[in-house]
Amino acid sequence: MRSRTNIIKEVLFYAFIAVVCLVFLFPFYWLIITSFKIELDIFHYPPVYFPMRLTDWNYRTGLIDLWGLKGITDSFIISSLNTLFVMALSLPAAYALALLPIRGRNSLLNYILSQRMLPPIAAAIPFFVLWNSIGWLDTYQALILTYSVFNLPFAIWLLTSYIQELPREVYESALVDGASRINILRHIIVPLIKPSIAIAALFTFIFSWNEFLFALLLTRSHVRPFTVIIPSLIGGHVILWGAIAAVTLVGLIPTVILVLMLQRHLIRGLTFGAIKG
Amino acid sequence: MRNLNSSYLFLAPALLTIILLTIFPLIYSLYLSFINYELGRPHLEIRFVGLDNFISAIKDVRFLQALIRTFIFIACVVTTEFVLGLVLALALNREFRGRSIVVTLLTIPFMIAPVAVGFLWWTILDANYGPLNHLVVDILRLSPKNVAWTADPNVAFFSIILVDIWQYTPFMTLILLAGLRSIPVEPYEAAIVDGATGFSLFRHITLPLLKPAILVAILIRVIDSFKIYDLVYLLTYGGPGTSTEVASFYIYLRGFKHFRISYAAALSYIILIISAILITLLINIVRRMGRR
Repeated sequence: MRSRTNIIKEVLFYAFIAVVCLVFLFPFYWLIITSFKIELDIFHYPPVYFPMRLTDWNYRTGLIDLWGLKGITDSFIISSLNTLFVMALSLPAAYALALLPIRGRNSLLNYILSQRMLPPIAAAIPFFVLWNSIGWLDTYQALILTYSVFNLPFAIWLLTSYIQELPREVYESALVDGASRINILRHIIVPLIKPSIAIAALFTFIFSWNEFLFALLLTRSHVRPFTVIIPSLIGGHVILWGAIAAVTLVGLIPTVILVLMLQRHLIRGLTFGAIKG
Repeated sequence: MRNLNSSYLFLAPALLTIILLTIFPLIYSLYLSFINYELGRPHLEIRFVGLDNFISAIKDVRFLQALIRTFIFIACVVTTEFVLGLVLALALNREFRGRSIVVTLLTIPFMIAPVAVGFLWWTILDANYGPLNHLVVDILRLSPKNVAWTADPNVAFFSIILVDIWQYTPFMTLILLAGLRSIPVEPYEAAIVDGATGFSLFRHITLPLLKPAILVAILIRVIDSFKIYDLVYLLTYGGPGTSTEVASFYIYLRGFKHFRISYAAALSYIILIISAILITLLINIVRRMGRR
C-alpha cells in the first residue's frame, strides 16, 4: 500500500517534469505553427496557439523568394567540405598523438585545445583582412578554412581520446609483425574506430552548420549560409515571421536529425572526452 | 630517429594548418593594432602609431562597460544554469516512464544554431504579438501593461540572459546527470547503514563525488559564455542605447560598422589576453580542485 504522501509526491514530481517539458518544447511548437500560419493569425492578439487556417505560402516565399534554399545549400556545401577537410587532417594527427612517439605530447594537446577555447571575435579582424587581401571574401574556401581553426582542435582531441582507449597491444603486435605505420592506421586503427570517426564528423558538421559570426563577416552576396539569411530578413520594414520561421525550421531539421543520431555520445563530445556520459 | 620523424609526418598537416591559420593572423593583427588603418578612409596615410590604439582602448568607457557587462552576463547565466541544471539532473536521475524521451528532448536547445534560437525567441518576446507578454500580462497578471522585452533598456539585458538560460540549462543538466550516473551505489549504502538520510546524503556523498562533473560543466560554460555574440546581434543589436553591448559585439561594431580596423585589432588583442588568462586560471583551478 502506498501512503497518501507518496502519491502526492509522485504527482508533484510528474507535474514538475511536465512543466520542464513545456518550457523547453513550447518554443519549438511555436516555431512550427508560426511557419504554417496565415498572416492574420501571426499578427493577432491574443496569440493563436491552435491555428485552424494553414498555408504553405511561408515555405514557398521563404525558401524561394527570400533565398532560404540558397542558404541551406550553401550551409550544406560549406559544412560537408569542412567536415571532409577536418577529418582528413585530424585522423592521422590523432593517431600520432595517441600512439606514436611525440615529444611534448601533452603540451601539444593543450596548445591544440586552447585554440578551440579562444573567442572567435579575436580572430575576426585578422581573418577578414587576410581573406580580403587575397580576394577570398565571399568565397566558400574562406569559410571552410576559417572553420577548420575551431573544428580541427575539436576533432583531434575527440579522436585522440578514442584511439587512446584501444588496447595498446593491437598497435604493438601489428608493429612486431612488421606492418608500416601508415598501414596500421589504414587497416587496423580505422576499422576499429569507425563509429568514433562518424561521431567526430557529425559534431564537426553541426558546428559548421550553426556558425554565425564568420559567416556574417566573411560573406556578401555570392555565398549566403542560412544562419546569415535569417537575421538579414529581420531588418526590413515588413517582417515576414512566417517565412523566416519556415527557413529557420528547414535549417534546424539537419541538426536535429544528427543530434538524435549522436544522442549517447553528445556529452563526451561536448566536454572533449572529460565526461564519459 | 627515423621513427620519430615519421610520427611528425602524421601530425604535420593538421598542426601546420592550425598554426598557419592562427599564428599568421595573430602576428598580422598585432601589426594592424600598431598602425592607423581604417577601411572607410582609403586616402588616410598609413603610419605607425605605437601604443595609441591600446591607450585609447583603456580610456574607452564604452569598451570597459561592455567588458564589465560581459562578466555580469557570465556570472548570471552560469550561476542560474548551474542551480537549475543541478535540480533538473537530480530529478532526472531517478527512473520514471518517459525519462529517456525527456533526456533526448533536452539535447536539442543547446545543439541548434544560436541564430535560430535568437529568431525563435525574438517572436516569443515580441511586445505586441508574443506569447510571453500574453503569459505575463494576461494569464499571470504580473505586469499591468505589455513589457518591451527587447526595447526597454532596463529589461533587454535580462531578456538575453533569459534566452541563454533557456538554451544552456539543458547542457548543464546533461553533464551533471552523466556525473550523477557514474557515482557508485556503495557509498550511499554505507552511509544509510550509518543512519544518514536525505539532505545529508546529498551534502556529504553526492556533492563531493559530483565535483569533477560540476567543475567541467562550469569551466566550459564560463569559457563559452564569454563568447556571447549571436543572441545579442539577433535580439537587440547591442541596444537599446548601449544597454546590451557585450565585448564581442562592441568589437564587431568598431571593426565592421565603423571600419576602424586598427582600433578593433587592438581591442581583439585585449580580449584575447583576458580570455587566455581566464582560461589558464580556470583550467588550473579545475586541475587543483580535481586532484583533492
